[in-house]
Amino acid sequence: MKDLDAPANPLETLAYIIAQQISNNSVVYIGTGIPMVAGILAKKTHAPNITLVYESGGQDPIEGDMPWSVGCPFTWRKSPTIMEMSYSFAQCYNGYVDIGFLGFAQVDMYGNVNTHQIGKDFHKPKVRMTGSGGNNDLSSLTENMILVGLQTPDKFPEKVDFMTSVGHLTGGNSRKEAGLLGNGPRAVISPWGVYDFEPVSKRMRVQSLTPGVSFDIAQQLTGFELLKPAGVIPETKLITPDVLKIMRTEVDPRGVFTSMPTA
Amino acid sequence: MTKYLYNQEAVANLKLSDTSVLDRLVDFESARAAHLKKEHAKKDKRMSLTEAIATFVQDGDIITDGGFAYVRTPHQAYHEIIRQGKKGLQMIGAPNTNQSFQIVYGCVGYSHNSYVGAEMRGIDKSYDRMLKAGRVKILSEWSHGGVALGFKAAQLGTPGVFSKQMLASDIVRYNPYLKVMQNPLRDDQDPVVFIPALYPDVAIIHCHAADKYGNAYIYGPAVNDLAIAAATRKLIITAEEIVPENDIRYNKKGSIIPFFYVDAVVEMPFGAVPGNMPGYYYWSRQWWEKLLRFGGVSDENMKSFLDEWIMGTKDQFEFVDKLGGAKWIAEARRQTRAAEGDNEDVDFSYEEFTLKHDSGLYY
Repeated sequence: MKDLDAPANPLETLAYIIAQQISNNSVVYIGTGIPMVAGILAKKTHAPNITLVYESGGQDPIEGDMPWSVGCPFTWRKSPTIMEMSYSFAQCYNGYVDIGFLGFAQVDMYGNVNTHQIGKDFHKPKVRMTGSGGNNDLSSLTENMILVGLQTPDKFPEKVDFMTSVGHLTGGNSRKEAGLLGNGPRAVISPWGVYDFEPVSKRMRVQSLTPGVSFDIAQQLTGFELLKPAGVIPETKLITPDVLKIMRTEVDPRGVFTSMPTA
Repeated sequence: MTKYLYNQEAVANLKLSDTSVLDRLVDFESARAAHLKKEHAKKDKRMSLTEAIATFVQDGDIITDGGFAYVRTPHQAYHEIIRQGKKGLQMIGAPNTNQSFQIVYGCVGYSHNSYVGAEMRGIDKSYDRMLKAGRVKILSEWSHGGVALGFKAAQLGTPGVFSKQMLASDIVRYNPYLKVMQNPLRDDQDPVVFIPALYPDVAIIHCHAADKYGNAYIYGPAVNDLAIAAATRKLIITAEEIVPENDIRYNKKGSIIPFFYVDAVVEMPFGAVPGNMPGYYYWSRQWWEKLLRFGGVSDENMKSFLDEWIMGTKDQFEFVDKLGGAKWIAEARRQTRAAEGDNEDVDFSYEEFTLKHDSGLYY
């Protein structure tokens, strides 16, 4: 049984911070994992009138247990309609999706994402990973993207080993010039900090840090030079006990995505 | 000599010495010819799975499947492909998670890769090993949306479509079929990616019900299946149930694949086991965890696990018996109804399979 009064663990913290990126009345495209927790948490707290959509084509499902896959019945539970896959991505192209969430194995200083391989040699990678799935489609088409993942210098390299999805490409206007839609990634969220992109260079910048994490620590967890914002770096607002209780009792009661893995 | 001007950067990056292996996927003329040559009359197309796979899946075919990862995917048909020892297949799909088993048995040798893995359960370590060992070669990299648009272009009856997906990414540098172009109607700079219509040789789609002619009904996400059915040269329908044509006409409102696309109709209750069949049965999470966690450890583990389940069962009924028989069915039915909001108070907790703990239960 879960201890409902225990302090928030890093995954719960992460889910809460992601949820804060979601504004009420928006259409939100959700990927597998922690973003599912965040989307449903937002809906049950500060953003009750959002519409969650999934790559299965599921639109606005009634919440149930945590989906275990983007094709799972919980992503289309009593949906008024279920779109075919090509139409589901067309929703992003045509401007009917406000914000999307994606995971990454690596993200670089311009918010470009890798989910293909660790190691630069395509034919002899250190680790072959999944490939794109819908990652590239959402990155290429969606108006606002939030990237979510763990942070180590290897996971935040200067340049990704394979560019699965284009963020701000090489900075400046390069994303737009390459023909991609939307604003590119708006934030990168790790358990240790929230990062945005400096508006001109489009390089990753600290926006706020988790209490206890200094700029120097964040820099040590990063494989490139982080930009520092002017003035004092704010602390990321952490989950309150009330909201934590909702997460533990109503959103992910079995801890499908918010239990810390045991060794 | 090929008539296709493949993306040469991708051909070089993928180290493809002979590009003829790529041709059939985009060979519209031969797909149209195959469609014209098909039986267009309403005829009884029922046959056994063994006969359907033997007749319509040939070595070297480009194969695709319906459903999505563990949802309504034709697992029992893959098992028959493995039992029959097909060779040199190319697999394409969005996702193509399930090619992995067939690579282990040497059935699939080539991948048009969009996504291979298990979402929250992580990367597919067996696929990683097979790629590094050269037992499968990637012929093209895709996003899910890219594959979906290629099939959709075929269904729409066009040579291809233009997209904004995949622009400037490394995917276009590893996909011989994609061309980055200027939008011809725009005066300003407007790059687009040309995605050609995609024509697999054979597709297997598992449906809820079909009549003997091949009119086939899908409940829940259709994913890419309506497009695939229109595009593919040969189409095998496996169905939970064979119903009269009038049942489709009067009662089955949802996604329908029309009969003239279909070459074989196979009655196949539990054809998506151990995956999830919307409305009918939930997936066996323990089975998949064991596959990925135990099979993930080594080639030997993976082979012994699959041998036990695929070679060790002659059909889906033996497979279901091995999962727990009627108890498995009852639990899987209860869970899928609850997952879809048609039942309540169902506890989804279960004993996870880990390398240290195997409950021996699959429900």
